[in-house]
Amino acid sequence: MPIRADEAGQYGAQSSDLVQGTLEMLILKTLALEPMHGYGVALRIEQISNGVFRVNPGSLLPALSRMERAGHVKSEWRATENNRRAKYYLLTARGRKALTAETEQWQRQIGAIARILEA
Amino acid sequence: MNWLTNLTTGLKSLFRKQEVERELDEELDSYLEASAAYKRKIGMTEEAARNAARVEAGSLNAIKHQVWSSRWESTLEGLLQDMRVSVRMLAKSPAFTAIALLSLALGIGGNTAIFTLINQVILRNLPVQNPEQLVTFGPEKGGGEAGGIDMGSYGLFPWYFARQLQAAPGPFQGIASFCSFSDKASIRLPDSGGAADSNPTAILAPANLVSGNYFSVLGAQPFLGRAINASDDATPGSGAVVVISHHFWQQSLSSDPAILGKAISINGTSFDVIGVMPEAFHGVKREVEPPDLWAPLTMQTVILKQPSILTPNGGLYFLDVFGRLSSQAATNKGALAQSQNWLDQQIRTGIRAEEGSKVTPARLQEIGHVTVPLINAARGASMLRDQYGDSLKILMGVVALVLLIACANLANFLLARAATRKREIATRLALGSSRARIVRQSLIETTLLSLTGGVLGLGIAFAATRVLIRFVSQGDSYIAMDPTPDSTVLLFTLGLCLLTGILFGLAPAIAAARTGAASNLSAGGRTAQISGGRSARFLPKALVTVQVMLSLLLLVGAGLFLRTLRNLQNQDYGFERSHLLLAEFNARLAGYKPSQTPGLHQSLIERLSALPGVRSVALSLSPPISGGNWSSNVTIPGYTPAPKENRHSILNRVSGQYFETAGISIVAGRPFNNSDNTNSQKVAVINQTLAHHFFPKGDAVGRSVVIEIDSVKGPWQIVGVARDTKSGNPRDTDRVMMTYIPLSQIDPFVPVDPSAPAAGPTPAPEENQDRFASMIMVRTTGDPVHTVADLRAAVASVDPNLPLLSITTIHDQVSNFMTHDELISSLTSLFSLLALLLAAIGLYGVTSYNVVRRTNEIGIRIALGAQTQAVLWMVLSESLLLLAIGVGLGLPLALLTTKYIKGQLFGLSALDTMTFAFALVVVSAMTMFAAWLPARRATRVDPMAALRCE
Repeated sequence: MPIRADEAGQYGAQSSDLVQGTLEMLILKTLALEPMHGYGVALRIEQISNGVFRVNPGSLLPALSRMERAGHVKSEWRATENNRRAKYYLLTARGRKALTAETEQWQRQIGAIARILEA
Repeated sequence: MNWLTNLTTGLKSLFRKQEVERELDEELDSYLEASAAYKRKIGMTEEAARNAARVEAGSLNAIKHQVWSSRWESTLEGLLQDMRVSVRMLAKSPAFTAIALLSLALGIGGNTAIFTLINQVILRNLPVQNPEQLVTFGPEKGGGEAGGIDMGSYGLFPWYFARQLQAAPGPFQGIASFCSFSDKASIRLPDSGGAADSNPTAILAPANLVSGNYFSVLGAQPFLGRAINASDDATPGSGAVVVISHHFWQQSLSSDPAILGKAISINGTSFDVIGVMPEAFHGVKREVEPPDLWAPLTMQTVILKQPSILTPNGGLYFLDVFGRLSSQAATNKGALAQSQNWLDQQIRTGIRAEEGSKVTPARLQEIGHVTVPLINAARGASMLRDQYGDSLKILMGVVALVLLIACANLANFLLARAATRKREIATRLALGSSRARIVRQSLIETTLLSLTGGVLGLGIAFAATRVLIRFVSQGDSYIAMDPTPDSTVLLFTLGLCLLTGILFGLAPAIAAARTGAASNLSAGGRTAQISGGRSARFLPKALVTVQVMLSLLLLVGAGLFLRTLRNLQNQDYGFERSHLLLAEFNARLAGYKPSQTPGLHQSLIERLSALPGVRSVALSLSPPISGGNWSSNVTIPGYTPAPKENRHSILNRVSGQYFETAGISIVAGRPFNNSDNTNSQKVAVINQTLAHHFFPKGDAVGRSVVIEIDSVKGPWQIVGVARDTKSGNPRDTDRVMMTYIPLSQIDPFVPVDPSAPAAGPTPAPEENQDRFASMIMVRTTGDPVHTVADLRAAVASVDPNLPLLSITTIHDQVSNFMTHDELISSLTSLFSLLALLLAAIGLYGVTSYNVVRRTNEIGIRIALGAQTQAVLWMVLSESLLLLAIGVGLGLPLALLTTKYIKGQLFGLSALDTMTFAFALVVVSAMTMFAAWLPARRATRVDPMAALRCE
């Protein structure tokens, strides 16, 4: 079956579909704590969401590549805790700004949705 | 700057794809390793952890593809890949590629060539500031000197009046004028010593007289130095300054940067060079041979070598006048109407002042209606445009049709190929390629073809345009047209290429995309292709029908133009069109005075008559047929003309043996002879039309005629009536009156104007400039071309300084009137044959393809006993149907279209039966032939072979 690269959000979650367009925000948030390699990001998202969101490399790596191009993250090769080499991703200043903006927008949206549902 | 880093990283990763890929591999490795490490930590065995990590991640290749696709450079890479595939596909079928490129190159080249000319002749603006504000006063009608007409009615004005407008331009920003013709002047350049007068070699170059504000009203800046200004053009006789063209500066002065301030000699008078115009500037008029020099009008006596025509009132009409509208009038209709009104008022006042007090009320009313239209001159006034504009537009239509036919052909080829590639496409679809990608690849292939064809076409266009320009220039060494394509032309060609690429690529692309993946891979693919293709088979047939239709249209056009040319050539011209050599000379430029002309003329005639192979020699002002004429109103003593009666006669002054030499027969009375000289009765010969007009009873001989030009007034006694001749454009069917007078009987002096103030000393009598001849006519026994060298030598032996301006045969002189008829008929024929050939190839291709496709069916039919005739007919009938439909649509289309070229035709109707019948026969014959070849092949199908094939 052909694999569609441009809809990472839909394809990524197994336990539950990741809400469309939120993957990059979650990655930014995860990296805001500390630089991490790809699997670290995936694991952190899964653990913090108590296994609700699972991100597989087929959507995580393209998203990281896009974000690197957009200048939101940058990457460098570092040694892991197991003494292996891995590509670590770091949040840039621009990425930090994007995180703030996206978080604010997200808050506004779920606030609005919540009000509509409560009405 | 973000997009810039994005661009550079993108390009970098594109060129170092392997490196990028290796890094991605490594990242994936470490990802799996980290995943496995975590799984070991939570208690899995080594083996199980690694497996689980692999399963979780899924296909590594898919991930890599996704990462790659998330970047923009992947699209570019895809395009490059498609391009590589396309080039490979094209290289694999060299025959198709060659035919496609050739027909595209011819089609696009033809379009570009014609467009290059259209751009230069019709579209391009004058290279001046705000050209859209420029208007000429009255239509451009060639130019010349005229008298006795209404001011402005031929777009011509006298000097005093143009001067008045110039001084008080009313609502215009400025009004300026220039001499309506640019006669060649004799130029001597400064020689090595620096003095121009001592240089023995003179060159001839067209010089134009302009008013002092000509350049400032035009808004034309000189390339070097300064332009002519009002102080140069202040008083008649002063202002010996000249501005030269870039071409003259380059060609004759080797681009001398220090030319400014130097003196050159024009017709024996020294002029200071004050400026050089830019390369693109050729004056207001777009002429085949534009002026090389511009001098102030005040130098008229020197430049035109004739007495002053700058009279304070009255005088000859010889100026073209143009103005620069106010910026409001250029954009606002109301303001434009105001300017028009103002000009009409000025002209009416001018005419009333000229006609004095004895004007009848009827005439006054007539004057009140005189109007001289303001004509947009943003692109200059152009005879060339009038002459060739329509032809070029028609040719543009013709080449566009040819390109369309070529497109239809290519579309057909590609459709056939798409059918054979169905399996390949189905396979690609099954392997996950998107339809968009397949359409894209198909379009890239056709665009690649059309762009390559376009580049070849540009080369063809460059060569073709050179030939066309040479054709238009009729052998002039320099003309202001350039075959090099400018940016407009290049853009046009690029646009054309893309359009053609899409035009002939779209149908096959869509056909390719419609291919179903499943059905074509199944075993029944072949049969599905045969039976299910009703709609797929319709398109090729429709395209062939369109080709037949368009070829018919082009053939009808070609036929009409060819017959027009034939009709023009086969007319009765009234004079002999062979064995006659014409040589134009100018004795004035060599410094002759009118009183010296009888001697010069006599020795020329004697010397030339003595040449071997010469039957007779004559001198005249103009040849039997020419573009410009000497003309005037005539009156007949004892004949009272009706008001507004046409009394306009073309005049010619000729030597004794003119009629014999030109081959014009005398129908009544006698021609001139040697006894018609200064001492005898002044005599004239008139043509049949003039005789009919004034002497319907046939009693012309013995009566007299008076010419309304003071210097040749007469009265002249009519001694003979000559046959009517075509004296100008062969398309003019109006009968024109002509009066011939002997050169030898023209008065040596101009009569003194009786109305001039009698007070003061009597001025010295003025020599009569109308005694000059300018045409040598030599009737030869053999081919006149062989006499050219002898003629030159003979003229040089009379006076080596006598300039011969041009030598041509009467045949070429007549043909020159038909260059654009020749151009349009030969090009239309050429292109229509090309179109027909393309259509035939198209039909042949489609029929052959169908025969190959139906080999089984035909084999079965033959095996079941079908006769050869029946098989032949089965295949042929299909093509005949296409022909019938094509003709059925083409005929009405041709009937509708030929209406638009009616103006270009001569001597036949736009619905000429012969032409239509001819076109039908040619199209049918070609179609039958193209279909018959594959049909014959169908009859030779071996039934056993065909059946075994399945």
